[in-house]
Amino acid sequence: MLEFLSYGFVQRGLIAGTFVAVACAILGVFLVLKRLSLIGDGMSHVCLAGVAVALLTSTSPVYMSVPIVMAASAGILKITEKFKIYGDAAIGIVSAVGLSVGLLLTALAGGFNTDLLGYLFGSILTVSASEAVLCGVLLAIVLLCLKLFYRYLVSACFDEPFAHTRGVPVSTVNLILVMITSVAVVLAFKVVGIFLISALLIIPPVSALLLSRTFKQILGLAACFGAASVWGGIWFSFMFNIPSGATIILVNLAILLGSFVWSKVYAH
Amino acid sequence: MPSVIKAKNLRFAYRRVPVLENVSFEVSAGDYVGIIGPNGGGKTTLLKLILGLEKGDGQISLWGTSVEVFKDWQKIGYLAQKSPVSQSRFPISAQEVVLMGLSQRLGSKVEVGELKQVHAAMQKTRTREYAGKIFHDLSIGQQQRVLLARALVSNPQLLILDEPSTALDAQSREMFFDLLGELNQKHGVTILLITHDTGEVGKHISKFMYVDKTVVFFGTKEEFCHSEAVAKQLGPFAQHTIDHMHNHHGHCPLGENCAECGHAGGKHA
Repeated sequence: MLEFLSYGFVQRGLIAGTFVAVACAILGVFLVLKRLSLIGDGMSHVCLAGVAVALLTSTSPVYMSVPIVMAASAGILKITEKFKIYGDAAIGIVSAVGLSVGLLLTALAGGFNTDLLGYLFGSILTVSASEAVLCGVLLAIVLLCLKLFYRYLVSACFDEPFAHTRGVPVSTVNLILVMITSVAVVLAFKVVGIFLISALLIIPPVSALLLSRTFKQILGLAACFGAASVWGGIWFSFMFNIPSGATIILVNLAILLGSFVWSKVYAH
Repeated sequence: MPSVIKAKNLRFAYRRVPVLENVSFEVSAGDYVGIIGPNGGGKTTLLKLILGLEKGDGQISLWGTSVEVFKDWQKIGYLAQKSPVSQSRFPISAQEVVLMGLSQRLGSKVEVGELKQVHAAMQKTRTREYAGKIFHDLSIGQQQRVLLARALVSNPQLLILDEPSTALDAQSREMFFDLLGELNQKHGVTILLITHDTGEVGKHISKFMYVDKTVVFFGTKEEFCHSEAVAKQLGPFAQHTIDHMHNHHGHCPLGENCAECGHAGGKHA
């Protein structure tokens, strides 16, 4: 049953997937509570543009996508602040533009091919050692930021205007949050694919939210759920020879349903 | 008295529609200012400009420092009109909410001294019993009292409050305004309060500011009651406001200074 753990590519996939899923779950807690859940969806569409540029120029999709997605995220924040429109509308605009540019460049690059399909639907078992290290660095940065800026983040998440009156640099906190999320989204497309990235940012925090009574609880539970979904998803994928991106998200869904039932039965 | 807030030629427009124009005033230490005016008159915008939450034209200084570079936010307590998370489940206890009112510093560890301050603020607003409860699970009135504790926890020298009593029941409202009165009179806290309830707060307020796109009137209660500018601007509402102040609980907020009842021991016949 645990035979799959003996394969090197599975080990790399598990390590990289766990790092990314935990990072996404922690970042997702803040995004969900700030009602910016769909920013991951918007960023993932912009990822397509990054991947298309990489395919067109024969460069690394990960390294090419990071600056593009970061710029798009900054654009979402700027549109929200400058034009005083809701975050979801800004995400919708940037997302549509990213997808359009991605499709256009994909056509110029010769249309859909197996490389692109791998990015669209995920290929966790093809993660390289350097990419796994990158995922570890991402998680380390997320944990360090959480440790250092915990009060800033919670305060800005709970009540932005009041946080401002305490001297919290709210705009900078928001910018750092979406910039780190941009990197997480780019690294996550190797794990679950561009189409399913946002689920890693949304489902574990929402499941944890159903069961938590304190902020630290929700962070811990979301991280555990994210990691468990990667391990469970890869196991199902290996055992039944089905796409790992889809199984990871379906395990997440099972955890969400379980959390919902638990919260109803043991209502606090 | 030294100046706490100084505003000069403030102007603010939202999508080119003027909200405030040519606003200048000065609030001194120890003032208790009631800001009144019609809905949409720019009262909340004025408070946001003072707090640096909105940026407009003109100059605002807090204790002589421009709001744009002001850093000493612990000297200010702020309570907004609406609870920030009344519609969503945010997993945070009432005590943690109050803790947010203290200096935002790096790290997540809570010091013993900070906890003492939090407990003292919750004691003042009679919210100690909710300390461990999830903020979201409290009633709107209870949430508002917890948020008042958050505004008070840093022992501010200036309190800025935007219609804070809307969600409170009669008993809580009385406790609330008595507490503000005590903070102002015993501890010298300067207070800026947007209110429509001139009767309840009238007994504590020392100055009124009437805002309707600009500062129509800013002066003492006595001047307010006899101001021609106010009467002209407010029409029948002016008399209603003054009557409401005078008649609330049968006490005259002007006490001995009132021309009408100064000789009747602060009570109207």
